[in-house]
Amino acid sequence: QTKWNLASAYPATNFHTENLVKFAEDVKTATKGGLEITVHPNASLFKAPEIKRAVMTGSAQVGEVLISVHENEDPIYGVDVVPFLASSYPDAMKLWQAQKPFLEKKFESQGLKTLYAVAWPPQGIFANKEINKIEDLKGTKWRSYNPGTARIAELVSAQPVTVQAAELAQALAGGIVNALMTSSATGVDSKIWESLKYYYDTQAWLPKNVIMVNKTAFDALPADQKEAVLKAAADAEKRGWEVSAIKTKENAEKLTANGMKVLPPSPELAAAMKKIGEELTADWLKKAGADGKALVDAYKK
Amino acid sequence: MDIVTLSGLLLIALLVLLGSGVWIAIALLSIGWLGMQFVPNVPSSGTVLATTIWGNSASWTMAALPLFIWMGEILFRSRLSEEMFRGLAPWLNRIPGRLLHVNVLACGIFGSVSGSSAATCATVAKMALPELKKRGYDEKISLGSLAGAGTLGILIPPSIMMVIYAVAADVSIIQVFLAGFIPGALVMGLYSGYIILWALLNPKRMPPPEPLMSLREKLSESAKLIPCMALISLVFISLLAGWATATECAAWGVAGSLAIAWWSGTLSRTSFWQSVMGTTRVTCMIMLILAGASFMSTSMAYTGIPQALAAWVQTLGLGPFGLIAALTVMYIILGTALDGISMIVLTTTVVIPMVQQAGFDLIWFGIFLVLIVEMAEVSPPVGFNLFVLQTMSGKDSNTVALASLPFFGLLVIAVAIITIFPGLVMWLPRLVFPG
Amino acid sequence: MTGDRREGFTGMVRRSLDLLYLGAGWLAGLFLISIFALMMGLSIGRQVGLNIPSGDDFTSWAMAAMAFLGLAHTFKSGDMIRVELLFERFKGRIRQVMEILCLSLALVMSGYFSWHATMMSWDSYRFFEYSQGVLAVPMWIPQIGYALGLIILTIAILDELVIVLSGRKPTYEKPPATTAEEVVERALQSGV
Ligand code: NA
Ligand code: NA
Repeated sequence: QTKWNLASAYPATNFHTENLVKFAEDVKTATKGGLEITVHPNASLFKAPEIKRAVMTGSAQVGEVLISVHENEDPIYGVDVVPFLASSYPDAMKLWQAQKPFLEKKFESQGLKTLYAVAWPPQGIFANKEINKIEDLKGTKWRSYNPGTARIAELVSAQPVTVQAAELAQALAGGIVNALMTSSATGVDSKIWESLKYYYDTQAWLPKNVIMVNKTAFDALPADQKEAVLKAAADAEKRGWEVSAIKTKENAEKLTANGMKVLPPSPELAAAMKKIGEELTADWLKKAGADGKALVDAYKK
Repeated sequence: MDIVTLSGLLLIALLVLLGSGVWIAIALLSIGWLGMQFVPNVPSSGTVLATTIWGNSASWTMAALPLFIWMGEILFRSRLSEEMFRGLAPWLNRIPGRLLHVNVLACGIFGSVSGSSAATCATVAKMALPELKKRGYDEKISLGSLAGAGTLGILIPPSIMMVIYAVAADVSIIQVFLAGFIPGALVMGLYSGYIILWALLNPKRMPPPEPLMSLREKLSESAKLIPCMALISLVFISLLAGWATATECAAWGVAGSLAIAWWSGTLSRTSFWQSVMGTTRVTCMIMLILAGASFMSTSMAYTGIPQALAAWVQTLGLGPFGLIAALTVMYIILGTALDGISMIVLTTTVVIPMVQQAGFDLIWFGIFLVLIVEMAEVSPPVGFNLFVLQTMSGKDSNTVALASLPFFGLLVIAVAIITIFPGLVMWLPRLVFPG
Repeated sequence: MTGDRREGFTGMVRRSLDLLYLGAGWLAGLFLISIFALMMGLSIGRQVGLNIPSGDDFTSWAMAAMAFLGLAHTFKSGDMIRVELLFERFKGRIRQVMEILCLSLALVMSGYFSWHATMMSWDSYRFFEYSQGVLAVPMWIPQIGYALGLIILTIAILDELVIVLSGRKPTYEKPPATTAEEVVERALQSGV
């Protein structure tokens, strides 16, 4: 019997984690107990930034990573956080299909292999006031936590603010941050309605968790177990995307139920955002070179 | 090897190492390594070691720890506490027990700027012990109340133990801090209540009262408390006004302490650098222990011991109160020989899954643990507050330990009260962070 | 004559080692000041419209650098804690043997840890690992302090082992405190 460890940084109740647990069960059933995967949620094995390295070194055979956090290492990792490049579930899925071969190539060089990926709910703008046009964001205290959000702050003349995710709820309560781009899931988790009143469903991007496996560990499996893992992964991907879409709807309902104004962006705001998106896509293409161009071409085809 | 045998083996190995005088951090690292040897399919425990410890040490939240320690170092060198006795004394002459209450109040005030129990005890004892002796107060109750009240340093925020717990249990530092206020007031109340009772029962052992002062005189004496109060306010205003996040308010505390030291004329280049190096040494000592603990808990997560233990405890059917009672007894025994940091980092990994399963909030459990650590500080043979008072008073260890016994008992009562009324702990954090 | 030269040589080694520990400790102290400066910068900066990009990352790295660079100095000063309940009862020869055993275990663990921390920074360099915030910083740079601090600690432990093996008292052994000032100082240093 083979035993694998799976490192994840999200709490056991998160839908991604629930999906992982189901994936592990499926693998166990399909291999008749031949391969047992223990899920370690809530960063109990490794903290989020270290999970990719842990899988590379074989310290954990499988790991779940919000892949865009590694965009500084290679722009290919960050294509799903280019604003307004893919802003719906079907588009995000299409982008994932286009990204996958490039990701596999990169992973190959690091001794990794992708199993599946699941998108988070789309990113919208939370603010303490009405945002009808892009100028309304000027001077807001805007949380910037990655190159993309920092660049948006620059383009809309917002004041970028550095706050760690762990302190976000308190930063919102104290008015340290009064506008931010994040998913409705974060909004619900941090009870954002206590400090901010408006949510604009801009669907800027859908970041993804990628579930990766150590290649050496995978190659060591007998053929039937390999097949079982890939089959369970495909099922998990399908299940995950469905649940993610359902969560998006539920989150919006929860935000409304707690007195937030959940609004579509005004045509003016949407147009301005689209322009920013084009600019940021151009930025990204400059960084990502030939591979990046091929990826975006494949996606737009 | 089955999980029970493995747990037993690791526990015995740990006790042997600690008992033979191996540095705590080294012992934890060794046990972490030993545990990893029983995990199949991990190519290199050294890689796991380096990766987990980097992840735990390069941490924004952790950076609050050296800052709170630094705050205490600066204030210690500013001689802030020396005026505290005269500032508090004039108000207490009408209460039974009189100046004995200075011990409790001064520790409460000093505890709200210092994060350490031993430092609070030592600082207040240094000014109060000679004064109380000079005025003819009973030495036993003076010592006991100082030992007990000194522990308020870690119950009233800021608190090094709370930062360590919050990091180990992965809960919000600011919520644990908030949770400490009411239990802090509760313990102060219990201590003062006991002193009143003692004074009423032993009138012959109390010195004659001192002449009363006019209100004006009282106020002018108490002006000496202003810098301390201003500092406490600064830290909380920085937080509430949205100038700082929970971690950053530690930096505001340092800024305020530097201002007080400068204002009192004790800030020199030498004293500044001494405080920096002093802080560096304490931080490094604690961080290496935390590093060892984080590796050990990762190793435990690989072996699956914590979950198995939690499942086993559940089969005992203790119920929440039974579990807390059992844990209290276990910790009191551990606390006789171990210091607070080690107790927290050694046990959180295995105890937290049980506590969660029994339905306790992790913020509440943090306060429970801090109270436990307070007991350990005043329980012989190894109790840091006892050592401090032993050296300061020149009394032997038995005398000091016996004098502290009633206050140890009061801490046990405090644990019982917060277990029966968890709202005392949770009310403030829930108020600020609803839900 | 040769004896004098040896004396001069060992003296020089002693002074260089002590300078190494103290220098690393001072560096750790500077990192403490930089944590303070960064946090105040972030906090006040928000009020006046200034932002330190990746300020949270820089703070975290300063924290790690401080924690590890100061280890050797801390160890030498006798501020690394151990359970002294039984240990203190031993005197003379047995005490020396126990001290040697403790130091040997510490040397092995610290050496093992140093090696893997160094390998980790080397891997970060090899795999082009970058920070995950707004600014892209190669991770091997902040990880230098981690590896270096542990290596210096290992040297310090080896240094102490040599001292104890040669029959002298370890440097980290402190006499018990006597004055009130010393007690307060020690209480502060205990961290508890
Ligand atoms: Na305190
Ligand atoms: Na004790």
